[in-house]
Amino acid sequence: MLVAQSSDVSSDLGIYLPLVVMFALAAAFAVFSALLGPLVGPSRYNRAKFQAYECGIEPSPQPVVGGGRVPVAYYLTAMLFILFDIEMVFLYPFAVSADVLGLFGLVEIFLFIATVGFAYAYVWRRGGLDWN
Amino acid sequence: MLLAQQGAATVSTGEAVSFWVLGPLALAGALGMIFARNAVHSALFLVMTMLSLGCIYMVQQAPFLGFVQIIVYTGAIMMLFLFVLMLVGRDASDSVVEVLRGQRLWAGVLGVGLAVLITGAVARSLIDVTDQGLAADTANGGRGNVANIGQLIFSDYLFPFELTSALLITAAVGAMVLGYVNREQRGRRTQKELVEARFRGEHDRPSPLPGPGVFATANSVATPALLPDGSVAPESLSRLIESTTADKLAAERESVAGTGPAAGTRALAPGKEESR
Amino acid sequence: MTRAQLLADDPLWLILIKAVALLLLGALATMAMIILERKIVARMQHRPGPNRVGPNGWFQSIADAIKLPFKEQIIPDTADRKVYFLAPIISTIPAFLAFSVIPFGPEVSIFGERTVLQLVDLPVGVLVVLACSSLGVYGIVLAGWASGSPYPLLGGLRSAAQVISYEIAMGLSIVAVILYTGSLSTGDIVDAQASGWYFYLLIPSFLIYCVSMVGETNRAPFDLPEAESELVGGFHTEYSSMKFALFFLAEYVNMVIVSAFCTTLFLGGYMAPWPVSLIGDNYFNTGWWPLLWFFTKTWFFLFVFIWLRGTLPRMRYDQFMRLGWKILVPANLVWIVLVVALRAFRNEAEISATTILVAGGIVLVVLIGLSFLLPDRAAPDEDSDRVPVTGGGYPIPPLDLVVPDKDAAAPRRVRRKRQTASVGAGAEKETEQ
Repeated sequence: MLVAQSSDVSSDLGIYLPLVVMFALAAAFAVFSALLGPLVGPSRYNRAKFQAYECGIEPSPQPVVGGGRVPVAYYLTAMLFILFDIEMVFLYPFAVSADVLGLFGLVEIFLFIATVGFAYAYVWRRGGLDWN
Repeated sequence: MLLAQQGAATVSTGEAVSFWVLGPLALAGALGMIFARNAVHSALFLVMTMLSLGCIYMVQQAPFLGFVQIIVYTGAIMMLFLFVLMLVGRDASDSVVEVLRGQRLWAGVLGVGLAVLITGAVARSLIDVTDQGLAADTANGGRGNVANIGQLIFSDYLFPFELTSALLITAAVGAMVLGYVNREQRGRRTQKELVEARFRGEHDRPSPLPGPGVFATANSVATPALLPDGSVAPESLSRLIESTTADKLAAERESVAGTGPAAGTRALAPGKEESR
Repeated sequence: MTRAQLLADDPLWLILIKAVALLLLGALATMAMIILERKIVARMQHRPGPNRVGPNGWFQSIADAIKLPFKEQIIPDTADRKVYFLAPIISTIPAFLAFSVIPFGPEVSIFGERTVLQLVDLPVGVLVVLACSSLGVYGIVLAGWASGSPYPLLGGLRSAAQVISYEIAMGLSIVAVILYTGSLSTGDIVDAQASGWYFYLLIPSFLIYCVSMVGETNRAPFDLPEAESELVGGFHTEYSSMKFALFFLAEYVNMVIVSAFCTTLFLGGYMAPWPVSLIGDNYFNTGWWPLLWFFTKTWFFLFVFIWLRGTLPRMRYDQFMRLGWKILVPANLVWIVLVVALRAFRNEAEISATTILVAGGIVLVVLIGLSFLLPDRAAPDEDSDRVPVTGGGYPIPPLDLVVPDKDAAAPRRVRRKRQTASVGAGAEKETEQ
């Protein structure tokens, strides 16, 4: 037996073993598949094949969209994502122990959501959530 | 591989193995981040470090912290980094000009300070801190990791917790101030209003420009559309495509004539093609 | 023994069997899903769909799977080769990894070993699925970036922004479930639904989850990253051969994951549905039977995915982002506060549960109504001179028009005459050209 027979299960690192096995198998499968293509597939050289796809025209030497820059709205979205991700992550332990905390917890979480909601409302009002 | 039966003072085999796998990975990621030439590669190495740290947290019986590390740091914050790198553009090279005066000096001073802090913390953890053991029940107060974190955050550490929400406000406002481009939303016209404006003659033509002649003679958007009399519809030519071809032709002429400029920033691109 | 203890006792060979089974499940579900999708969408559009390979074309997916490795792999010159190679792998691994926390069934015996039909039951199982989905985004962004080509870059960015936006809505809709369960473990969530499934106890969460799971997997009507009319193929435009297949696999495995996760969170996981659960002291909830219920529920969601694709037109990007950020997220937060309040007051036990439910329902309806009323754009003014569909100046046939039976209505001779005339007209046209 490779895994410890322990009564105290959660203190055992063995609970992560299946995850590691799954990761190894999935990684092996993915790498194998990615390597399989060039091995069994044909390879016939053609200059046009190595050009980036631009609907049949010669690829423009100019960089992609807007001088190689992406719209700033993506940055805002990512920033908001961090904001709500952190809020979400705090809500999980709260949700687990909400019953113990009772009314006190309700007030706390209401304050927390309201505070984040304030930032959210500000971004909304300034048009940070609008896409063109 | 007996993992749990050993005493609290010794490090179990599983923990040792995971540490010696994850630790070097994290370190390699950190070094790779510093030495990679490409900014996106740097970011990827940093992702690797964050992932390894998350796994190390899990090994230390903090599964919640471990997965939060993966979700928030690798998932959200590194994604922001990637977006910002793409915001700057793929080909942007590092600027060698120092914008901040005395940057190196301050970097050195702060770096030494950080090193001292870390050494102090590590030394203290080696000498002072009593070993609590990592068995989940003792480490997590007998209530399980997540429940324990929840009850501690919302009782003993309530004030710091509410402060984080203030921090989040700062982040949102900062992002808006930095990233906001003043787009006048109120003044934007709807599709219907635009159509009406077109037919009232506020634009050059009521209809959109004719598409390229893709289906007529060739499969390229560079093919012009033909008018009923067989002549080329000038509006169907993309300004960008036309200028690209024209620019290329001009550049080739120059290089043949020997009047062109010496190898520029993009000189590597054609060479790559020939080396194949 | 508890579920976690049973799983911790698994010997290595059992873990391997389960992991391989999950890998196979992912691959087979993808193949089944592709052929089913093509068949069902074809049926919805009144065409036969694939009908060449095997009986009625049902082996089409197998033929495709065999074909793909033998296709030439083309990497554009502008690509960043290392990242280009890594991207499909990065998007595949998390997709499979998320499978490991899904509980497929209760305690069974495999080759004499008591175990649970689940690979691993972590105390933070829900977070594993979220972490995997946030890692999978990297595959998409990196594929777009590494291709060095405009369409993939745009597609990758769009896709990433979309996935992270809807991940918020998804993660928040789980909070209410955790409030009821008091645990982040997927096994506990299923067990907690023995008294009632959450999809009717927590309807708003369920609906928000369903919308966000479609957005999260980049599927129609939210398939903007691959909008063929705008972006060719999206982030995998420059990918071919097995690398393309890996992206395809990851997309479909992700669909299976979110469906299975939805089943776990809201539809009682592997538990037998109501009329069946009454039979023989819940006999059908033991042994291997629950696998059947689990897959039935999961495939129901997968069918809805296909159904949506066959039915709905693609949304515009700004509409899509508005739905995510301006409707789903705030509605979710309000709902969470309501649920917390409901539970807190009920635990104080001064007000009866019915009163709270009624009051909460009214407040919820008002709030949802308000959230729709929030001014976003001025309402379009009333268009009085719009052309009516019927009854206007145009000769539009009435909607209840009955076409008379042509055999009965028209004498033979007249009909033939008309036919020749029309043929003649067609011939004339052809000679003209």
